[in-house]
Amino acid sequence: MSNVLVLAEQSRGTLRKATLSAVTAARELAHRTGGKVTALVLGCGAGAAADELAAHGVTVRLADAPALAHPLAEAHAPVVAEAAKVVGASWVVAPATAYGKDVLPRAAVALGAAVATEVLAIAGAGAEILLRRPMWAGNVIAEVELRTEVKAFTVRPTEFPPAGRAPGGSVAPLPVTVDAATLRTRWVGLEEVKSERPELTDARVVVAGGRGTKGDFGPITGLADVLGGAVGASRAAVDAGWAPNDWQVGQTGKVVAPELYVAAGISGAIQHVAGMKGAKVIVAVNKDADAPIFQIADYGLVADLFQALPELRDRVQGA
Amino acid sequence: MAARLFKGAEYLVTDATKDDVFTPEDFTEEQRAIADTADQFVEEEIAPVRDRLEHQEAGVAVALMRKAGDAGLLMIDAPEAYGGLALDKATSMLAAERMGAGGSFSVAYAAHTGIGTLPLVYYGTDAQKDRYLGKLLTGEWSAAYCLTEPEAGSDALGGRATATLTPDGKHYLLDGTKQFITNGSFADLFTVFARVDRKHFTAFLVERTTPGVTVGPEEKKLGIKGSSTTSVIFEGAKVPVENVLGEIGKGHKIAFNVLNVGRFKLGAAVTGAAKHAFKAGAAYANARRQFGVPIARFGAIQEKLADLTTGIFASESIVYRLAGLIDDRLATIPKDTSGYYEAYQQGIEEYAIECAIAKVFCSEVLADVVDEVVQIHGGYGFIQEYPAEKYYRDERINRIFEGTNEINRLLVPGTILRRALKGELPLQRETMKAMEALMTPSPDELDPALPFAAERAVLGGLKRTFLVVAGAAVQRHREALKDEQEALLALADVAIQIFAMESVLLRAERISPRLPESRRADVAAAVKGHTFGAVEKIATAARRAAFYVAEGDTLTVLLGGIRRFTKYDATGLLEAKRRLAAAALEAERYPF
Amino acid sequence: MPLKLLVTVKRVEDPESKIRPTPDGSGIVTDGVSYKMNPFDEIAVEEALRLKEAHGGEVVVASIGGEKATTELRAALAMGADRGVLVRHEGALDPGIVSAILARVVAEERPDLVVMGKQAIDDDQNQTGQMLAARLAWPQATFASKKESLESDAEQRKRPGLTVAADGRRLEVVREVDGGVETLDLALPAVVTVDLRLNKPRFASLPGIMKAKKKELREIAAASLGVDLAPTVVVRRLFEPPRRQAGVRVGDVAELWSKLHAEAKVL
Repeated sequence: MSNVLVLAEQSRGTLRKATLSAVTAARELAHRTGGKVTALVLGCGAGAAADELAAHGVTVRLADAPALAHPLAEAHAPVVAEAAKVVGASWVVAPATAYGKDVLPRAAVALGAAVATEVLAIAGAGAEILLRRPMWAGNVIAEVELRTEVKAFTVRPTEFPPAGRAPGGSVAPLPVTVDAATLRTRWVGLEEVKSERPELTDARVVVAGGRGTKGDFGPITGLADVLGGAVGASRAAVDAGWAPNDWQVGQTGKVVAPELYVAAGISGAIQHVAGMKGAKVIVAVNKDADAPIFQIADYGLVADLFQALPELRDRVQGA
Repeated sequence: MAARLFKGAEYLVTDATKDDVFTPEDFTEEQRAIADTADQFVEEEIAPVRDRLEHQEAGVAVALMRKAGDAGLLMIDAPEAYGGLALDKATSMLAAERMGAGGSFSVAYAAHTGIGTLPLVYYGTDAQKDRYLGKLLTGEWSAAYCLTEPEAGSDALGGRATATLTPDGKHYLLDGTKQFITNGSFADLFTVFARVDRKHFTAFLVERTTPGVTVGPEEKKLGIKGSSTTSVIFEGAKVPVENVLGEIGKGHKIAFNVLNVGRFKLGAAVTGAAKHAFKAGAAYANARRQFGVPIARFGAIQEKLADLTTGIFASESIVYRLAGLIDDRLATIPKDTSGYYEAYQQGIEEYAIECAIAKVFCSEVLADVVDEVVQIHGGYGFIQEYPAEKYYRDERINRIFEGTNEINRLLVPGTILRRALKGELPLQRETMKAMEALMTPSPDELDPALPFAAERAVLGGLKRTFLVVAGAAVQRHREALKDEQEALLALADVAIQIFAMESVLLRAERISPRLPESRRADVAAAVKGHTFGAVEKIATAARRAAFYVAEGDTLTVLLGGIRRFTKYDATGLLEAKRRLAAAALEAERYPF
Repeated sequence: MPLKLLVTVKRVEDPESKIRPTPDGSGIVTDGVSYKMNPFDEIAVEEALRLKEAHGGEVVVASIGGEKATTELRAALAMGADRGVLVRHEGALDPGIVSAILARVVAEERPDLVVMGKQAIDDDQNQTGQMLAARLAWPQATFASKKESLESDAEQRKRPGLTVAADGRRLEVVREVDGGVETLDLALPAVVTVDLRLNKPRFASLPGIMKAKKKELREIAAASLGVDLAPTVVVRRLFEPPRRQAGVRVGDVAELWSKLHAEAKVL
């Protein structure tokens, strides 16, 4: 019995995309252990999300009840534990999102399961499954073994491609015994983040422009906006009055460490690099093939930013 | 607590052991926690307002002083009865060191807690402390020390300020101009020195709001632009007689004694500043790429970082050894006795020489550090976008205030000789012995298996070097030696470097046994690097002094002795330096 | 209504220290590494102190670790916590066991609220609070935050971000979730784990540090609690993450897009 239960995440009937990465991880695991994958969707009126997941070839159980209307760990966790027992799961997998991290450890206690967080890769086979996960802020990768009967982990979505559409999925209801009246957690409300640009220092994506913009930041802001990113600038651009002071990235400006940093028309003077070298992925777009920025960029494109950035923007929008 | 209580300057004639010194590795958990608080204060309170502070935006420094008060950083040296913490000097210096990373504010902090507050702590009456000390400890009031005058800088007692008793005998009227007053623009309480009846040098506590007190405009300065430096002008300022600090005519004792602590504190603060600047240099060396590699790969850069590391290691070793000396001495004074602060003052004065050494040595290490940090930055070191430029400017004042380094250097041999003359230091006897050693070449027995055997051996030679050269100087000039400043400065360099080298060695001997192997090797590398430099400097200074004070056969004998006493086998020096550089670059900061 | 607050603190490697695995992968290189209180726990201590300042009560700090963990407990006491409990145990423990031990501490201390960091920055597991809540069958609110920024007036005035109802029986928590901030209302007792933007922790004042020396710090042996200490999350080996590959030149935007999408997985 090495079945795998996937905890799906949905919001108002819309499936969260991270779920599909968790499905991929679950399938990889099931392949190694020889079990079956079942996904659990919880909510109230979440049928559409369950159908959407089934359309990816997934066997889905839908727990639909008023008590599950809001993503409360107190309400959802017992249902997850119950579902794991129903489907005979020895593994429970969830996306490493705020929801997955909130609910899974609570459910794991009911299952007597040990949990690994933010799994990046799966190794081993059969009873010898090893999970790779980051520790010390990603400075170290650990290979861990879980030594409980039932085991659980959350999956870092970026490390597993989302499952594609496929036939063969199904949706079946899961009876829910949780009573809303007994809950001691009350959901008050959700304030969604406004779509304005994020703060430079905690943006996931930063698109920055320099002297090469010749004062026109249109391509920079255009790309930043489709990526939900913040806009940065080199000191040269700020000193020229092309960008406000608080956009400046570098030694005397802000220090940023986004997942993606796009430096467009920035030569890469050391004082600029000081502010962005912590970025996970650096992209440089510059007409000058000898610009020092290419020495530190993960991906360098020798091109005119006025052509390349709009083209990249169109591709992002089309994806 | 040290195994043996050393007197001031006794290091020149008695070898201390590792059990006689206090080191930065000896701090207690509370002391480390206090250091953390100071670090956090610099990072979370000072750093965000640094630009506003540099532009002297009104109220920023005062607000910071209040916050420092809230954090308890102003209470360290004061007695518990007045809301102080009555902590030891080691703790006080540790806080000063960490606050030293705070740039201009650290100058305001040191002035407030040192020369600003200590005169009141040491010499104030209960009534004076009741009235002022609580306010100073919380930062509600800031303090300043007014000694310097336009015509009286190094000649500190040459001031013209006067104090005249009013006919009713209730007030003194103060007249005169004090200048270069740190914290002048915002201080609420001034400790002012003036002559009563143009004769008796006396200290007064003067409130800022006293009619007749005006504060001049901010000086435009080379560095520490965020600190306040003004003149303070007294025109018939009416100060109640209750505000006379200490005794009439005993102001010089206050002025000089407080300066001892001030110098010591400055040594600690500049050591913190040096570590702070070093960090920028190491980080830049790793980040800057030239010829396709980080410049940290180049020996030229590594050697700088290694030398600066040993310099800071020596500064720390001096500051905390001295803290230990003073704390041990002060701990022998029975508390809650009427003469407590009298004895306390004598306890500190005992180490006036070491206080001067700390000031000179540590401020010059900082000078080396900021200079090389600019150099490591190349052209970027010269522009304001990088902090190296500011470190460079801010450093300069440290070799000037709290007694110029020349005044402090002269004080070292001057005080040593005076104490020897008074019979407090067996200099003559030891000089005789050193002379004998000079005449009879005796092979120094050294067991090479012992750790630091080579350094132990040369240390004895270095002390003999001082003794024979000092002896020759005395023989040549007798009483007039006090006017031979060139020779005195050379002797001072020898004495200062010996104290530094011995402090480094003792610290290494003390901490090495408890360190893991690789760390022990780092310490050994610091000892080797430092000893090599110290021996070279001592040999040069001693030769300089020899040429100044001797000629003919005496000179020949002296030079021969110096050569023999300053032999140091520094095999492995290059590896030692590379090791230190690697440690600094790996940590991206001063690695100890 | 005075509140009894229990806060957990963990001794971890200073985030500014360089962490790398030993060559044999059995652990990390500890040479030259310094230790401090888990930064999320500092935020938890701060929040508890603010709650106490606003409502009265007591702040108890608990840690599990060796003798050296007293340093972090003393640090919390120096910030202003009232007393400490150290559950003595040498070596790493996984969140399941930690939560079981903490459940025993809770049973003894009977707090109204447990405030914890959302994760420790060493193992980055982010589970213990949730597991503790499950074991106690208490409501939970993870990733507590607040709507006001850390530069706001409310923060300057050191107002708590967690809101206790007037009757002292319920707690309103703003929490960071994907795409926004959610507000929950919990019946006390409850477990809250805190995120970075909840508050700016105070640093210990010098008088606080000196007072902390004299505060009660009770020790309990982990083995005496009847909790199975056998590890269930076993680290088999540690290794360095793959190094950043040397940068590549891409020919055109199409190639750049596919690299960012498929290889770097950032788009």
